[in-house]
Amino acid sequence: MPEPIYLDHSATTPVRPEVLGAMLPFFGPRFGNPSSTHRWGREARVALDEARERLARALGATADEVCFTSGGTEADNLAVLGAWRALRDGRPAVVSTPIEHKAVLAAVERVEAEGGIARLVDVDAQARVDPAAFAAALGDDSALGSVMWVNNEVGVIQDIAALGAAAREHGALFHTDGVQALGKVAIDVRALPVDYLSVSGHKVGAPKGIGALFIRRGAPIMPLMHGGSQDRGRRPGTENVAMAVGFARAVELAVAEREAECARLEALRDHLEQALLARIPDAVVHGRGAPRAAHVLNISVPGTDSESMLMALDLQGVACSAGSACQSGSIDPSHVLSAMRVPHELAVASIRMSLGAMSTEAHVARVAELFPALIAKARRLSGLSTR
Amino acid sequence: MARVLVAMSGGVDSSVAAALLVEQGYDVVGATMKLTCHGDELPDRPCCSLDSVNDARRVCDQLGVPHYVLNLEQSFGRDVVDDFVREYARGRTPIPCVRCNTFTKFRDLVARADAIDAPLVATGHYARVIDGRLHRGADAKKDQSYFLWGLRRAVLDRLLLPVGGLSKPETRQRAESLGIGLVAGKAESQDICFVPDGDHVRVVAARLAPGDPALQPGPLLLSSGRQVGSHEGFARYTVGQRRGLPGGFPEPMFVVDIDPATRAIVIGPRHELMGRLIVAGEANWLADLPTPGTRVLAQIRHRGEATPATVIEVDGDRIELAFAEPASAITPGQSVVLYDGDQVLGGGVIDRVPASRRALPVAAA
Repeated sequence: MPEPIYLDHSATTPVRPEVLGAMLPFFGPRFGNPSSTHRWGREARVALDEARERLARALGATADEVCFTSGGTEADNLAVLGAWRALRDGRPAVVSTPIEHKAVLAAVERVEAEGGIARLVDVDAQARVDPAAFAAALGDDSALGSVMWVNNEVGVIQDIAALGAAAREHGALFHTDGVQALGKVAIDVRALPVDYLSVSGHKVGAPKGIGALFIRRGAPIMPLMHGGSQDRGRRPGTENVAMAVGFARAVELAVAEREAECARLEALRDHLEQALLARIPDAVVHGRGAPRAAHVLNISVPGTDSESMLMALDLQGVACSAGSACQSGSIDPSHVLSAMRVPHELAVASIRMSLGAMSTEAHVARVAELFPALIAKARRLSGLSTR
Repeated sequence: MARVLVAMSGGVDSSVAAALLVEQGYDVVGATMKLTCHGDELPDRPCCSLDSVNDARRVCDQLGVPHYVLNLEQSFGRDVVDDFVREYARGRTPIPCVRCNTFTKFRDLVARADAIDAPLVATGHYARVIDGRLHRGADAKKDQSYFLWGLRRAVLDRLLLPVGGLSKPETRQRAESLGIGLVAGKAESQDICFVPDGDHVRVVAARLAPGDPALQPGPLLLSSGRQVGSHEGFARYTVGQRRGLPGGFPEPMFVVDIDPATRAIVIGPRHELMGRLIVAGEANWLADLPTPGTRVLAQIRHRGEATPATVIEVDGDRIELAFAEPASAITPGQSVVLYDGDQVLGGGVIDRVPASRRALPVAAA
């Protein structure tokens, strides 16, 4: 089999060697607990504080505004539930959108289950959230608005400045899930009306199991867990020093390399997209009419199905994804595409290719040949099928 | 070597099937069909649970072959679960495993095989394909050919049944020797996968309209027509059932007929269960169409015995046959499978024979 091609960077990325190198001492001699008073503890504490500071600087925040979490899901839950539970008495509502990651959608459902009000603002066919509609939905009873910055399935970028401003006008706080935005768009929380921002390590070359929530100084937060006083009581539990150090390193690298890397990925993505559209004229690229992150290409070809295509691609060594994988590993139809009112026939055919550090011109050239060939074959079969 | 898509439940039979094919040098691709939602299931079920998907994935990892989960929930719901409910609502007793084989495994799964250029498909069924003909499995106790009569004949040309020649203990032993001991000791799956607690009425009731006649009270009659009680819905009963019937009769009583038109359940002593005439629909043939007068062996339940019968008529997908000796509890909705020795000739779904015809003497077999 030819060299495998990894086109699923939005799912996860390999740990960068620099990141692994930065972490290793903390699995060895510098193993201390940051809460301890002795020299091992001090060493760990200094490393943790430094990591927090470096991550904060990369986001435009101050160190006290960074709360390390176990990943994006915990950060999203902490933001939505932590803000709402702090403010629910006067402001029982939370406003979000149907294209959020499940980590936000499920937290919003939890708000409802706990007696709050949840409102989801429709998106247009390009997955864009209209700031005016968002403002209208906020009303004057909302504790929090939450809109994902870069969509994980189609890559569409929201106007976070306008949405955050709308929230502020209505006296609500604003959260954005920035997991897919990190390293892909410029992030400076000082310049944005954002009160909470979720980020995750493993999308940018840090390990799985580390993330962070930016919490603007003064923004209320009720902790999800209860225990010691770590992280100002916002997130009890002995801190994951090694991964915090690795995460900070990964984010510094991602931010420093962002412009050059995004230009490279955009050129590759656009080349792939044009090649596929030229060979498959009735293919549909989702979110193409909106500003999109450089690395995502979500494409549907009528008369095919995601599941069979993913298998056929994988057996040729090409790793892509579709929809959201459920617990068993099977593919469920994408809630993002249904919110965009993508016709069923196209929604069940969607394939997400997400480029990143491992992507090369040779990969793109090979997929540009292989994908249309597999599509042609799948269509021949579906023409024959009795279904 | 040719590529083969192996349907893997996570149980020992299909795991050994995959391992044997790997050993024989095939280009094996494992696939587990996701047929129902894994949200509200019972733990520790031998198949069709999240744990079994994980077992199948682990087995494939140990064998060094790819594994995929195929979401066939929608078509399984339509072709198997909906039919199951419809059949109970018609006073019949369906076998969902037959339809799952006919439609889900050997139509939808085969379509996925086409999509990945796999000329062959395999399962862990205890049956054998010999020269393009379907035969019983070598282990008479485990034989599953009864469930396979609905296959399209063309599928037989690309079907591998690697454990069909083994006995169950041999299969377990092979699991150990092939290095997939993690599934060797797993329990047998006995239940219907979407009726994990065995309570089919709950499944049927959840999918029927609240006022459906199948769940409304109706009369319990003797074959003379005399009413001897009432019941809480005919979907709760099956022909041959004894449980839940009133006592006080000189002999044990059984359900001998269910008439959905009048919601009546007819009960009677054991001899009233006996019948010789079978009418079946949806017939499918895995051998040449039999002609009237052909003598065959016919089997009317999974663990039943195949007994001599004569084909009376074959008309499109309908078949009529007569047993040489009366058979007990010929149950509408169950399958009748025709054999020539060990070879499966075909089968059909048993229809209700109207009482007027049941009374008629059957032409000599």
